[in-house]
Amino acid sequence: MIAGHFGFAAAVKAKAPSVPLWTLMLACQWLDVLFVPLLLAGVERLEPLAGTKPGTYGAAVIHADYTHSLAGGLALSAVFGAVAAIRYGGTSGLVLAMVAFSHWVLDLPMHRADMPILPGAAGNLPRLGLGLWRFPVASALLELAIVVIGAALYWRAARRLGGAGAPQAGRANLCGALVLLAGLLTLALNVLGM
Amino acid sequence: MSFVLGLVVFVAVIGPIDVRLPWPRDLTRAP
Repeated sequence: MIAGHFGFAAAVKAKAPSVPLWTLMLACQWLDVLFVPLLLAGVERLEPLAGTKPGTYGAAVIHADYTHSLAGGLALSAVFGAVAAIRYGGTSGLVLAMVAFSHWVLDLPMHRADMPILPGAAGNLPRLGLGLWRFPVASALLELAIVVIGAALYWRAARRLGGAGAPQAGRANLCGALVLLAGLLTLALNVLGM
Repeated sequence: MSFVLGLVVFVAVIGPIDVRLPWPRDLTRAP
């Protein structure tokens, strides 16, 4: 899941308006931001399913045994929240830590059972994941719903800021439209394997 | 590509526009 995380972060912005949108967007992808360098370093890896092209939507077993383990996700989210708390205060830091960990929670229904409980799959414990990606259309529709609902909640909150006709109204509409379009574009590129 | 593009657009393009909106400073006060 990529676009759905952005949609969720947009929805949180509507409920926690003092937290800057860009920090919420970074938080919701924090585990994947850390996954990329580990992927390039060969520490974590993507294993395309047999007979599928690399990058096909949802068609991979993801060996992200550190960034996407339950304990690793909790720890990395806590680090994000702690650093954010220095700049934005404890409550915002807590919100951002929870949004960072929401990445793991939202990935859980999507991933095949490839998410370990402990970093490095220590202890040989069961791996988690409900495997909705076996049904790509359903997965994409779920992401689409999260994107549309999140963008709608954000847009509505932004429009309420200055009232009708206020100078900010145009900027609020621009932001709302961009959040929706960027979410839809991200989903479309992801589904197309790009 | 979708991940990088999405992150760049949300953080570096939409983010700076959003911070110029008069969002309340109080976390508990919904707009």
